[in-house]
Amino acid sequence: MLNAILRIWNKYGFVYLNGLLGTLRLSAVTVFFATILGTVLAVFKLSKSRTANVLVDAYVEVIRGTPVLLQIYFFWLLLPKAIGFELSDTQSIIIAMVVNASAYVCEIIRAEIQAVDIGQREAAFSLGLTPVHTFFRITLPQAVKNILPALGNEFINMIKQTSLASVFFVQELTTAYRTVQSTTFLSIPSLMISGMIYLVVTFTLTRFLGLFERRLRSNAP
Amino acid sequence: MPLENVPVFEVTDLRKSFRDLEVLKGISTTVQNRETVSVIGPSGGGKSTFLRCLNLLEEATSGSIRFEGKEVTGPLSVKEKALYRQRIGMVFQNYNVFPHLTVLDNITLAPTLEKKIPKEQAVQRAYELLERIGLDDKAKEYPTRLSGGQKQRLAIIRALAMDPDVLLYDEPTSALDPEMVKEVLTLIQELTEQGMTTIIVTHEMQFARAISDRVLFIDNGILVEEGVPEQIFGDPVQERTKEFLAKML
Repeated sequence: MLNAILRIWNKYGFVYLNGLLGTLRLSAVTVFFATILGTVLAVFKLSKSRTANVLVDAYVEVIRGTPVLLQIYFFWLLLPKAIGFELSDTQSIIIAMVVNASAYVCEIIRAEIQAVDIGQREAAFSLGLTPVHTFFRITLPQAVKNILPALGNEFINMIKQTSLASVFFVQELTTAYRTVQSTTFLSIPSLMISGMIYLVVTFTLTRFLGLFERRLRSNAP
Repeated sequence: MPLENVPVFEVTDLRKSFRDLEVLKGISTTVQNRETVSVIGPSGGGKSTFLRCLNLLEEATSGSIRFEGKEVTGPLSVKEKALYRQRIGMVFQNYNVFPHLTVLDNITLAPTLEKKIPKEQAVQRAYELLERIGLDDKAKEYPTRLSGGQKQRLAIIRALAMDPDVLLYDEPTSALDPEMVKEVLTLIQELTEQGMTTIIVTHEMQFARAISDRVLFIDNGILVEEGVPEQIFGDPVQERTKEFLAKML
């Protein structure tokens, strides 16, 4: 087995490295836009507007209540029809994954902001802080400490989820496995290489996030 | 600055309902400048709600609150509300110090942010206040390092740093360990003796008796009886006041 893995790696390493590049690119774009969209959604959800609340609730419910693979198919089929111009498979998938992840990001941000003790807000109000100052100086800094670790986990989920792009043969790690497997017919060794690369990526990120989290905690208890 | 001859608070027929539950059923009273008023009564009787209505943490359902002659129960803008609250300090049962800010920043945040007091000036004032309660050596630490009594005294001087005209205390010692109650009560008493207008909701009957100019007994959303401490504690008129005090003393 180890022999087979090494042989494949020697011959097709570049396929995996290209795959890794694709995965990282997909992940980075998804994480970036999902965080922005999720934050915007959370702002609407936390606003006093009834309409905005209901709309965000519906959005989050639908996204969390349906499989991501189904969402990817949906956007892949719908988007080219809905908008006038062509979208590549990659673009459709990215949009689907951003939409999917944004719902989770929104929920994380909303939950952690609402988890900050109401007494903190009341104390700030009683000192005469305006609602805007109260949010940015009191509520948000306390929420961020819990938001960031939770977001970190969500980022790792997003990275793993990009493997679904292999359904459309978009260049990424799982697609790399499929490419190598179909050439070599050595299914398990080629799959294991992809798996190990995922593991290295997520492990590195987890360590990094752990370090970051400890830093946050030591800055202010 | 508060005007000597205008009452700090003039409360008329104050009512507050949470959905179907009427918590305040028409409270009327007046608090004069430099007066110390204790609010006593059974839990759930509306004492805290009364206090919270005064600084608009709760919106009164009807009735009127006049602060230094000006009506504050009407629709106020966000800015007006904040400005009003700057003149009214409030101390909570659970301290509510800001855990993500140092002791010093807890005190200087509101004055620098909302009153635009220069940072150095606010810091200097904060140190004066901290020295007064003997916590100046803790200025750079976070409040998690403080005991309950220290946190509550920090909360009190944090409110003082805004130079309020009146201080409201909502059961300031109820969450404290018994051995820390005294240090907090001592500080509160010192402030009243220096002329700070004070309204305090408390279960510390001895303390209320000792410091108050006037005592309000609120039960079931009604101001059952009010008077000087000697009268309320020594010779209450209402049956309910007697019953309550019999249980408490």
